[in-house]
Amino acid sequence: MKEQVIAFELNGEKVETYTDPALSLLHLLRSRFNLLGTKEGCGRGECGACTVLVDGRAVNSCLVPAGKVRGRKVYTIEGVTAEGLLRGAKVHPLQEAFVESGAVQCGFCTPGMVMSTYALLNDNPSPSPEEVREAISGNLCRCSGYKQIEEAVLEAAQRLKAQDWQDRNSGKT
Amino acid sequence: MSYTVVSNLDQAVEALAKSEGKARVVAGATDLFLGNLPPELVDISTVPDLLGINRDPDYLSVGAGVTHARAAASPEIRLKAEALAEACREVGSPQVRNMGTLGGNVVNAAPAADAAVALVALGAKAVLVDLNGVYREAAVEDLYANYNLSVVDSSSEILLRFLLGPTVRGEGSAFLRFAPRGALSLPLVNAAARVRLKGNTIEAVRAVIAPVSPAPTRLSETEKLLLGSKPAQDTWRRVEYTAAAEVDVRGSMLRCSAEYRHHLIGVLARRMIRKALERALESKEGGDGR
Repeated sequence: MKEQVIAFELNGEKVETYTDPALSLLHLLRSRFNLLGTKEGCGRGECGACTVLVDGRAVNSCLVPAGKVRGRKVYTIEGVTAEGLLRGAKVHPLQEAFVESGAVQCGFCTPGMVMSTYALLNDNPSPSPEEVREAISGNLCRCSGYKQIEEAVLEAAQRLKAQDWQDRNSGKT
Repeated sequence: MSYTVVSNLDQAVEALAKSEGKARVVAGATDLFLGNLPPELVDISTVPDLLGINRDPDYLSVGAGVTHARAAASPEIRLKAEALAEACREVGSPQVRNMGTLGGNVVNAAPAADAAVALVALGAKAVLVDLNGVYREAAVEDLYANYNLSVVDSSSEILLRFLLGPTVRGEGSAFLRFAPRGALSLPLVNAAARVRLKGNTIEAVRAVIAPVSPAPTRLSETEKLLLGSKPAQDTWRRVEYTAAAEVDVRGSMLRCSAEYRHHLIGVLARRMIRKALERALESKEGGDGR
């Protein structure tokens, strides 16, 4: 294994790490940066628990080699939470809506669900229920609470519009 | 392992040449961790030459590095290569479509890769370049050596783009798949067709089905049945019967029994050809310049 220096932007901050480029972004985030919000489910791109944004697009971090994120913008669930904190709230309105809609049961799929729908709302602030379902079609919830998740995202869309929420450091390009 | 992200084609060729056969080209990398890791990787996903979607009078050129998400959303592809847009919408999940590329879909050589099936139905040609700078073109269906094995040697050749004749007035294409679930699901059968009408007569047809062999496979008997015919009520039962009878399929634990696959092939063949024909008719009647 040949380690390389990999510099990228993580949740709005420039970071640099010396690592095996064949390490997955998921393990890089969890083991090097101690960002444990991103979950490992299947580890093979089939469950979406590890979803993060790379340059504003939802991807399975378990499938992304660390070498690929050099020079790119990576955004995780911790970045979403920080947006809420910066606004004086406890969490982001999307996370708030998940909690209030009962969209969190065991919680393991939740960070991935939030990231997929966060990407959706950045691109499309007024999604239809079908568009929400499409956006979470790569995220499995084994508690099977999809309906509440859909409701949470639609509710969050309303709130974000009402609050004129700006995504200031969302990693969107 | 070394991982080099190159920013242009010269760098890619140079990196491959320097590694003397040890390095492999990678783009979306969505299947990278599912197999054995090669010792060196050359990431070509940001090479500008591979990212274009361009139209000239004769061809629609789609870069091999175009992601499924981009292809599915491209107005040019949706209008001129509808089957490809439909296929790209069905690949994996949104996360996979955001990373996975059309070139990878073909060179990875999975026997039921959605985009590859549509590309073959559309008659797409692949443009490749080797380390000596020699270009070649090949039909997409000729790029398969065996199951999950491409003719393209990704240590010494780079797939650059696909060229496809855009559908013209009187032409239509369609893609369909049947899978146990609506997303994140391997297809039991996928199918794509392209047809051209002259009056009410089928003047050209390409009907493709997978997975029945290493490459997306043309239904040549079904095509013969349709070519020169005017589709009528009794056509569809014959299409279903002919398509199901002309391919040899096995049952598999991964997908389904051979009997069920035969049934699905007949049904999907009928549906995709009807859908392509409907679109061909619409394009004749519509004034949208197709």
